[in-house]
Amino acid sequence: MRAVLDTAFQHEPLPTLPVSSDLAGLVPDGGLVRGRTVLCSGDAAVALALRMVSCATQAGSWLGVVGVNNIGVQAASEHGVALQRVVFVQPALRRAEWVSTVAAVADGFDVVLLETPPGITAADARRVQARIQARRNVLVLIGGSSASVVQSVFQPDVVLHTSTTEWHGIERGAGHIQSRDVHVAVSGRRVPKALQQSLRFVG
Amino acid sequence: MSVDVTRVAVVACPHWPAVAAQCELRSRGQVIAAVAVVHAQRVIACTTGAIEHGVVVGMRKREAQATCPQLHLVDHQPERDRLMFEPVVHAIAELVPLVEVSMPGVVVLATRGPSRYVGGDDALAQRLTEIAHNALHQLAQGVRIPFGVGIADGRLTALIAAHSAAAVGEPRVVAQGQSQQCLAVLPVSVLADFAEIDRSVVSLLQRLGLSYLGSIAQIQPSILVGRFGPAGNEMQRLARGLDRHPPIVIAPPPEHASTHRFETPVEDVNVVVLTARQVADQLVVHLGSHGASCVRLHICLQTDHGEQSDRVWYQPEGLTAAAMAERVRWQMEAWVAQRAVTSGVVLFRLSPIGLRAREGRQLGLWGATTQADEAASRAIERLTAMLGAESVRVPEWRGGRDPSETFALTVAAVVDVEHRTQQTVRVQEHWHGALPAPSPSVVYDEPLPVMVCDALGNDVTVSGRHEMSAEPCVVVLQQQHYTVLSWAGPWPVEERWWDTMRQRRIVRIQLVVRRNNTATTTRALVLTREHGKWWVTSRFG
Repeated sequence: MRAVLDTAFQHEPLPTLPVSSDLAGLVPDGGLVRGRTVLCSGDAAVALALRMVSCATQAGSWLGVVGVNNIGVQAASEHGVALQRVVFVQPALRRAEWVSTVAAVADGFDVVLLETPPGITAADARRVQARIQARRNVLVLIGGSSASVVQSVFQPDVVLHTSTTEWHGIERGAGHIQSRDVHVAVSGRRVPKALQQSLRFVG
Repeated sequence: MSVDVTRVAVVACPHWPAVAAQCELRSRGQVIAAVAVVHAQRVIACTTGAIEHGVVVGMRKREAQATCPQLHLVDHQPERDRLMFEPVVHAIAELVPLVEVSMPGVVVLATRGPSRYVGGDDALAQRLTEIAHNALHQLAQGVRIPFGVGIADGRLTALIAAHSAAAVGEPRVVAQGQSQQCLAVLPVSVLADFAEIDRSVVSLLQRLGLSYLGSIAQIQPSILVGRFGPAGNEMQRLARGLDRHPPIVIAPPPEHASTHRFETPVEDVNVVVLTARQVADQLVVHLGSHGASCVRLHICLQTDHGEQSDRVWYQPEGLTAAAMAERVRWQMEAWVAQRAVTSGVVLFRLSPIGLRAREGRQLGLWGATTQADEAASRAIERLTAMLGAESVRVPEWRGGRDPSETFALTVAAVVDVEHRTQQTVRVQEHWHGALPAPSPSVVYDEPLPVMVCDALGNDVTVSGRHEMSAEPCVVVLQQQHYTVLSWAGPWPVEERWWDTMRQRRIVRIQLVVRRNNTATTTRALVLTREHGKWWVTSRFG
């Protein structure tokens, strides 16, 4: 009986975009599941987000970067993002146009990397997430220090909160920054069991 | 005269966005001589007052401020540019009903009819100068706005003539059939300035030894096409003084794809625009089935009371359906702003009057472009139409010592996206003096001022021999105190020391800091010292 039930309720494998092997253990289902929202927050949010999307871009998915100012393109390249499939979009400042811009980006690109400007309401966020689900994209949000604000507006499926514990390669007056240890706490409504893990990040 | 070329008159106001911003400020009572319009941290237009102080288009925001401290910076607002220019367009349209506005600041009109009406090209140029002078005089409340009138065979020649006329102060008329000789002595950089040919192509032409348009005109078109693709043909045509695209004629679009009659007069602009979008979709499909796309579109709007608005719109890359609908919106808004409308719209007509052949593309044997690539290139087109070309960008490797310089973001609309996916964009060569990998993941457009202090609270300085005065201990950033945990550097850069204008002497250090009151997290910063001040240029985010 148990076996019958198991086969009856067995899910189709979810369509996912690949992530690099060191992150596969962090996210549920071992990849970026299409239609879902991932929030990267904390002090290594940008680096983690870039690393998160890098394998997908190498595999042929396009990345639309919307409103993320100040992103280091060279760092993106070092994290393995295939820059030939990256488009930077500067959305209009007005709220209604912001939503339609994100919707247009979601129409064309598999992965959307998004930083929310101030003044976005929960209704706007719902419209964006509905579009992401309908188009089977992946939305990666960068929370930075204002993670709680983003989280109150968006309903992320996976939240990855980072904090850097140690920097390697730099001393008092010698060396240069080579890598860092990042502590990642995973939570969110699609995460069956909250987990924590330490990662060695280059950059 | 060849059939490939139409004789046109151009009225051009150079640096229109800056002039429009200046006029707007003046209407609010602020009289400022040096105004610059900034988009994506770079100057895109500046007034004569700013040019006199050495501000140049393409400068970074901070460079421009350093060159001219009293410079007033404003954001780029295409809407303001369009609406401020409307009185000029309207004044010219009183003489010539059908005018074309390809971008704010430039009016193009075919001279054949008007020249005969006023008695020759010279007379027409004089008339246009008077009209534009009066309109601009009113707009600027007496202050002179530079503008020029040029008449020539072909759009490019006329545009260049108009810009040179703006510098001289009187109209320029290039005689019939003289356009090619006139262009031959001009440098190829005018192709980038006036015909939206990509700067990298122009730079390649210069490196190939083709410095003047005359030398391009002499090359066989097939050779240029072989080297540059469709752009080669366009450049050759432009250099010969012809219109950019050879004219093609197809069957006129069916009624449903060009004209729409509303059953009741419509007063809402959005309703007109949405309907126009549907009609435009059908028009684009019709043109596409004939292998053509529309570069010049005549939009005619009529109201219930018989008022009519005609305008021609031009876009050298071809107008998409969204772009056509957008042009309808602009025309409606301008019409309403003039208060010339007393009733709802009952009819609009979209007539494609300039067509170009769609460039055929040879696809890779194994399907080199995927569905994702096609979707992305469509999305780029759509976003460009929505937000303007400047807001949709793709990274290109440029090289440099600074993380902000290694990759430049170029306008996606000028990049062949499908070709791009077959190559990889990455760091091709590490520059000497660049900081070693890993690179910071957050690079500030505008560096943040910061104070670096030693244990005694004195400012940390760097000597001419690149020695730090003391170990950095405390950093004050945005009124927050941070303790320095570890640091490395200084790494000096001396760039272009031979050039007094562009030389740059900086040192960089890396710091790992912890905020004083929250003891948990640490962050790593890259600091630069320039002109005796410390700046945070990037951060490991």
